Amino acid sequence: MSNAADMINLLESKFGDRIQIKQGTLEAGAIIANNGLHYDVLKAMIEADEKTGITAITGLDLGDKLGVYYHVHTAKPFFTIKAEVPKADPKIKTVVDIHPGALFHELEVTDLLGVVFVGNELQGHFVLSENWPDGVYPLRKDVDATKVQLVPTPEREANKNAEGRQVKIIIGPQHPALLEPEKFSVTVDGEIVTKVEPRIGYVHRGIEKTAESRSYLKDTYLVERVCGICNPIHAYAFVSTVEKILKPAVPERAEYLRVIALELNRLHSHLLTLGHAGLEIGYETLFQYFWRDREPIMDLIELTSGNRVYGSLITVGGVRRDLNPEHIPKIKSVLEDFRKKMPFYRKLYQEEPTLRLRMKDVGVLTREDALKLSVVGPVARGSGVDMDIRKTQPYSAYDEIPFKQIVYTEGDTWARMNVRMDEVEESINIIEYAVDHLPSGPVRVEVPRSVPEGEAVSSVEAPRGELFYYVKSNGTDMPERVKIRTPTFANIPSFLKTAIGESIADVPSNFVSLDPCFSCTDR
Amino acid sequence: MIDLWLIFRILVFPGFTFILFLTLFCDWVERKLEARIQNRVGPMVAGPGGILQPLADFIKLLTKEDIEPRDTKKLVFRYAPLAAFSIMMFAMCFLPIDGASVISTGGFSGDLIIILAFATIANFLLFMAGWASANPYGTIGSARVLTQFLGYDIPLYLLALTPAFIAGSIQIATIASSFPYILLAPWAFILFIITMQAELEKDPFDVPHSESEVVGGLETEYTGAKLAFLHLTRDVQVVFGSALVVELFLGGPNGPVFFGLDWLFYTLWFVLKLLIVVVISEYITTVVARLRIDQVLTGNWKILLPAALLSLIAAVALATWVYHPFGIGMAVGV
Amino acid sequence: MTDTKTWARVKSPWVLHFNSGACNGCDIEIVALLTPKYDVERFGIKLEPSPRHADVLLVTGAVTQQCAERLKRVYDQMPQPKFVVAIGACACSGGVFEGNYNVLGGVDKVLPVSAYIPGCPPRPEAIIDGVVKLLNAINPPKKKKELAEAPKEAPKPEVAPVEEVKQ
Repeated sequence: MSNAADMINLLESKFGDRIQIKQGTLEAGAIIANNGLHYDVLKAMIEADEKTGITAITGLDLGDKLGVYYHVHTAKPFFTIKAEVPKADPKIKTVVDIHPGALFHELEVTDLLGVVFVGNELQGHFVLSENWPDGVYPLRKDVDATKVQLVPTPEREANKNAEGRQVKIIIGPQHPALLEPEKFSVTVDGEIVTKVEPRIGYVHRGIEKTAESRSYLKDTYLVERVCGICNPIHAYAFVSTVEKILKPAVPERAEYLRVIALELNRLHSHLLTLGHAGLEIGYETLFQYFWRDREPIMDLIELTSGNRVYGSLITVGGVRRDLNPEHIPKIKSVLEDFRKKMPFYRKLYQEEPTLRLRMKDVGVLTREDALKLSVVGPVARGSGVDMDIRKTQPYSAYDEIPFKQIVYTEGDTWARMNVRMDEVEESINIIEYAVDHLPSGPVRVEVPRSVPEGEAVSSVEAPRGELFYYVKSNGTDMPERVKIRTPTFANIPSFLKTAIGESIADVPSNFVSLDPCFSCTDR
Repeated sequence: MIDLWLIFRILVFPGFTFILFLTLFCDWVERKLEARIQNRVGPMVAGPGGILQPLADFIKLLTKEDIEPRDTKKLVFRYAPLAAFSIMMFAMCFLPIDGASVISTGGFSGDLIIILAFATIANFLLFMAGWASANPYGTIGSARVLTQFLGYDIPLYLLALTPAFIAGSIQIATIASSFPYILLAPWAFILFIITMQAELEKDPFDVPHSESEVVGGLETEYTGAKLAFLHLTRDVQVVFGSALVVELFLGGPNGPVFFGLDWLFYTLWFVLKLLIVVVISEYITTVVARLRIDQVLTGNWKILLPAALLSLIAAVALATWVYHPFGIGMAVGV
Repeated sequence: MTDTKTWARVKSPWVLHFNSGACNGCDIEIVALLTPKYDVERFGIKLEPSPRHADVLLVTGAVTQQCAERLKRVYDQMPQPKFVVAIGACACSGGVFEGNYNVLGGVDKVLPVSAYIPGCPPRPEAIIDGVVKLLNAINPPKKKKELAEAPKEAPKPEVAPVEEVKQ
């Protein structure tokens, strides 16, 4: 059902007074369901709409209680189920059995806040390091995380071989295939993978906790640095959430400039992945060609924002600098040159025999698995799930700009790469349209330093998928809680599933088709 | 009686020193070609145009600290790289470079088989080098090397024997000076180049060196001088493989001679033809991706081996009924 | 022979890239060095997969607790002579994340660093500049050597001469 009112009526008729529904906040509404009712509410929502899934689970410290908020997306409307547990005995029922995609989210809330999900208990640490003491939860308000005494690292089970003829291969943390450190223990039987166990947390810099002790303006710079590749979208998501609480009148011109910055970022990120995929399958020449053609785009980013990677263009109330009209011909000529090169790359991806041999039928993710695991972005769109936040919940100026949503149905690595290839073309179209139809006017409005009490969520389409932010403000100039759910965090569980049963030689190619960004995952 | 002339030929020209510098030169050619195809420039700083880059790499590796992990099989770990390099160099000495090979002036009947056997032994020593390093990546990498070269050796031998059958001789010098067999058996030439790619572990058969899966492959645990010799062995293998193509199919060092300086011009023709083959091989490497191990094995057993057999049968048939009656292709003096 | 050794080491510096908790910004600028526009293969720089093969360790990222031990391990696995280059503001001093609970704050808390390249992220040209400066420090180009050895008329200090210790 694509109507918020229908879902609310269904829930009210099923649960009556046991739950409270507050409409008008947090998108379609907040459903307060305590005492284990969250499980039944979620189950009812999944049964009513197959596209229901959990976007994120936010844990927060409410004084003597811990809040566990389930952010649920359905076909169009977006709900939040709020549950609370007492701090002294923080036990709550797990929802992993009805929705496997909630696995990582629950583990993270356990690790950082100490909530125990009955049925999905965490052994050791998930995101925190091994020498972090037990029982100290960084996100709780009463914990000063910088004054924590670290324990000595427990004995590592060095390369313990699995049973029988199975061998455990460790990929990472230092590995030529991965740009970033994460550890994947892959158990193989001969050449076939039987199990994949990830250990994340190598890039955990504690950004969510730090954001609570810096002002909103400084947080824009901090939150940008979650990930260098998709940095404007992080800044935009944070800013858009704060703007939902503040409600300033953001000028039209600023929205269009934001779209240009975001789409330039999407271009460079997709070209990065398309080239990196070549490196993984031993196709160095493809990598060199893609990155050669990515350089003019980096020049454009530098032209519009002043820096190759961290433009810091987007801020609360608009953008920080205007687009110089003299730059517009340069932008159009670079994009035009690039558009001429697209047929060559498209032909390469469609017809080159060795590339097809390596990418076709590798890492197949079926549509039901994609929906059950709540994967996002090109991974979902490569498996036939038409979920593009720019279309389903348009933000910024996207509702005024025409573009196509790209969906492929094969579900293999090749399909995902083609989704990105087509999105590159669409991005070029969007930027050209935005540059041609740029409205005039100011680019920024003044906003107050302190943000009134409130909370808001925001979903945007990062190059890797849906990026989700939840911000709670308490009237001061520092946020109370910032929750970030990144697309790779949602996509990694799908890799754990698709790698099984395939050859170990396919693991790099399968993995890079997810476009993993671990600095996003760990924050 | 010390034959100083023989010692000079073995150590300096056209023996050890010459082959060493030829190897470094071919390495430079490969790197520059790969760089230019990828729209880059390649090594530029070490010497004019970067030509001293492979030499700098080699010397630098010799000066690095030599680390021996505790759990390696010491004897094999220490000496396998050097042994592999020595055998490859020895095999190179059988090839006529300046019109006559180093070991014995005209070669001897059967030296084709011997040098192919030496190449196989060198590959086997490389496998043992990886197996002796107590590292899971080394083990997997060397297992892949073994699977690949053992499989591709069979079509290699069959295709190498194709010109031998047409010539009616298994003496390299004889085959080289009879006829450029690329004209009589062009299909064997193409198949031989592909099989050579697999033997030399270059793309698309680059599996044992695939960095994203096995990190460094069989070389992962090696440092310093041993790594230098592993790299050199691989480079000498490339030169050896290309030289074999030159000798068997392109007529070896034979070509027009001027001013009676036959050793100079034979060497020049040899090097020129060698460079052509190296360029073709590197070009193929650069423009394709890497196949998976199971695709490599399928390619061998289901495609290349039957093709090699057919090629041999076709060559023998053509030789018996077409070439020899017209007197072409037969070895001189057989 | 010393000159040849140093010449070879400077002309062929093989690098290993390790990300100790970075946001990826510096890493993509490092990978961009291999691409046609910047092409560090000109200097003989090759990106190696295994620590045993590398001479220079390029570290990015404010070192997280989880990565600190691994970073030390990777450094120990490299053979001598080896150098460490800290790339990016985070590797130099912790950057934006200085003071966070999971972050050590800079590579020099774990390893001896030979060169610092600041920036967030440093441009590829800046990284090349830093690496070339490091290489020149190891093997100064001839011109600079002559200038350094040119006799200068320095005033003699008015202190008692120190006894030469016999080695």
